[in-house]
Amino acid sequence: MYKGYLCLVLHGHLPFVHHPECDYFLEENWLYEAITETYIPLILMMERLVNEAIDFRLTMSLTPTLISMLKNPLLQERYLRHINKLIELCHKEIERTRWQPQFQRLALMYLDRFLICRETFERYKRDLVSAFKSLQEKGVLEIIASCATHGYIPLMEVCPASSRAQIKVGVSVYEETFGKKPKGFWLPECGYHPGDDYILKECGIKYFFTEIHGILHGSPRPKYGVYAPVYCKSGVACFGRDWESAKQVWSSIEGYPGDYWYREFYRDIGYDLDFDYIKPYIHPDGIRINTGIKYYRITGSEDKQPYEPEKALEKAAEHAGNFMFNRERQIEYLYDFLKKKPIVVAPYDAELFGHWWFEGVDWLNYLIRKIKFDQKIFTLTTASEYLAENPRNQVITPSLSSWGWKGYNEMWLQGANDWIYPHLHKASERMTELVKLYPNESNGLIKRALNQALRELLLAQSSDWAFIMGTGTHTSYAVRRIKEHILRFTTLYEQIKSHSIDPRWLAEIETKDNIFPNIDYRVHQ
Amino acid sequence: MKRVFKKIKEKVQTLKKKITLRSKKSKIKKRKTEFMQEIFPTETKVEETKYYTPPFMERYPKVEQLPASYGQDRLVLQTRDPWWVHAYWELTPATCEKVKSELKEIFFQAKKVLRVYDITNIIFDGTNAHRYFDVEINDYANNWYIDVGGPGRSWCVDLGLKLPDNRFITLIRSNVVHTPLDGPSWITDEEWMVPEEVFARLYGMGVGLGLSSPVGKGWQEEIKKKIWQPLASGALASMVSPVKKELKRERKFWLVVNTELIVYGATEPDATVYVQGKQIPLRPDGTFSLRFALPDGKQVIPVKGVSADKLEERTITPIVTKETR
Repeated sequence: MYKGYLCLVLHGHLPFVHHPECDYFLEENWLYEAITETYIPLILMMERLVNEAIDFRLTMSLTPTLISMLKNPLLQERYLRHINKLIELCHKEIERTRWQPQFQRLALMYLDRFLICRETFERYKRDLVSAFKSLQEKGVLEIIASCATHGYIPLMEVCPASSRAQIKVGVSVYEETFGKKPKGFWLPECGYHPGDDYILKECGIKYFFTEIHGILHGSPRPKYGVYAPVYCKSGVACFGRDWESAKQVWSSIEGYPGDYWYREFYRDIGYDLDFDYIKPYIHPDGIRINTGIKYYRITGSEDKQPYEPEKALEKAAEHAGNFMFNRERQIEYLYDFLKKKPIVVAPYDAELFGHWWFEGVDWLNYLIRKIKFDQKIFTLTTASEYLAENPRNQVITPSLSSWGWKGYNEMWLQGANDWIYPHLHKASERMTELVKLYPNESNGLIKRALNQALRELLLAQSSDWAFIMGTGTHTSYAVRRIKEHILRFTTLYEQIKSHSIDPRWLAEIETKDNIFPNIDYRVHQ
Repeated sequence: MKRVFKKIKEKVQTLKKKITLRSKKSKIKKRKTEFMQEIFPTETKVEETKYYTPPFMERYPKVEQLPASYGQDRLVLQTRDPWWVHAYWELTPATCEKVKSELKEIFFQAKKVLRVYDITNIIFDGTNAHRYFDVEINDYANNWYIDVGGPGRSWCVDLGLKLPDNRFITLIRSNVVHTPLDGPSWITDEEWMVPEEVFARLYGMGVGLGLSSPVGKGWQEEIKKKIWQPLASGALASMVSPVKKELKRERKFWLVVNTELIVYGATEPDATVYVQGKQIPLRPDGTFSLRFALPDGKQVIPVKGVSADKLEERTITPIVTKETR
């Protein structure tokens, strides 16, 4: 008899970056790197678990922007080009490091990984979403929906039509992609504003997740803290994040990813090697970038030592054991204390695993196996399975919260990015106006323009742009994206209203911002 | 000339904004009582690496500027956190002119203020606020961070003019926002009754204090203090991790030197060439080149060429010694 549950949630998201107008576009690498380092390793890990008949439960959100990019033929083609270049570079590296066996074996390791990536990518006919889908169908993975473009809902309070469009488009992309209704929803950045749950309810969503204080500061007081879900007044369940399990992974002091034996993220051969040699594998303008081939471990001093994969794997296993041990003690204690089986919810950014924390996927793999075989205190679950077993829960109104810096809205509302809101809110207001003007448009061209206007608005709303501006470094792309989408939206708005739609220009931006082919502008109300 | 003037105006405006922002930011740091301080920087950092772009000059052609105004009176309020709200506004010249013509010369003695009303649990009609306070703003500002200092309350703001005789004229009224609580609710649920000590324990565990967290009288204050202390004493030093250090390389001089060796040559295009016993590919014209990272020590590099008919064989052996001092 288990005494409680652990619910692991991985939030998979990248903003929509698609530049058919350029042969090479640097920011598209965000996707290629995540495919190689995170998504494919996760797929392979889950496949192996399924093949070995190890029962487990994992929850993952795949945002509509990420789904759209993974299914985009141009980006798929470019990923193949990207991975082929890396494979070519690895072959050169194996030669170059012939007299440095400590590096040569790492070059071989990378070659092996990249070849497996290519093989997996081709095995799924370039469509990795289908891999996740089939894992969901096997009952081990629960995929949850998210907002159309990762719009940060708490800062859409004055334009509720946009909150609704973000959520509804997100749900329809989910249904189109996975052929069923989503049970759960990932609010971007865990950003919850009281009342948002009513829109989720409209879309048939059963549950969502919040940051710790979303529950702890909710009203009335939550009887079980964050260790049981609550129902919002709308009837949608809300699960609060557990701080202890978050801290073990995230903490800058004691967090696992900072271990000295783990691979160092910031030492990449794209920066370390001779310019002429590495030139074909960096930015075509000769700007050094990360290649993904990194030979050093964190070490703990400036004098970085070569990475030792075996040692790192041992560490990952040790950390998985430590994480499990802590959950066992936590759940045992809570079970006695609450006289009820607690649920510990541990959501993480999916791209943490593999990309930032190179050994993260191995850690997860060890953790899942250990939970299955090495203990009997708790079991992995999903939020929907938990609710099926525990349907009676307290009703409270969770508090405004996010999992961003300082826990509220400041990451997306500060000196560096507050200038975007007058434009975003105005555009949203105009979109609503268009929907009212054209409640049932059947003219092909006008309808296309209306749909494209909504695409541009949604793309401008991605929380990613405000986030990047908030971090204060390399903000030019984010600024450009917001401006471009707002300008495109505004032009469309003016053209639609003055009956002067330019079909050639419309076709051009439909090709560039070709997300959500089946969007219906009328959701924005 | 006009444009230059406008530019200067804008500069002044942003500068002013920056100054107010800075002072306000430092203020909030002092009053912060949140518990996730330690993990947020790391999380933000990891999320940053997702959007990793190398440092270099602007690559993008400048896009057109967004409009500076939309020709509509508007005052929008957004909650930033339990203590602060943000207001942005646009006041059209038409409205301004109208007021000016009504007020005549008094207009120039009036102060532009944001009147912040606490309207918790009431339907606000402009006169029935629990209390209000004024924030004087400058003429150039178009947005402001307001320290409302009241978690768990509702707010509405008027942008208006305060006349010398203390009369207040509303120009634009905002939407209503609510600031969240900065601690647990005092409302408990009869059906889901939770004793104070039990809740205190759950709260303490929830914010990561484990079983050492206080549960007795004044536990909320104790917990706030506990979460606060490591930050106050460590002055954020606790956020420094091996990884973090890398991110913000302290300004110091450094030098890295590595060596590589290029071995190149040529033979008949149809010949086979072995370097240190391993066959290497030839270019169509029979040339080849290899590049090796060169560690300290002696490298003996036999290069053997074998003719296509395997009748002839030639070996040349460069020996390279590298030492680093």
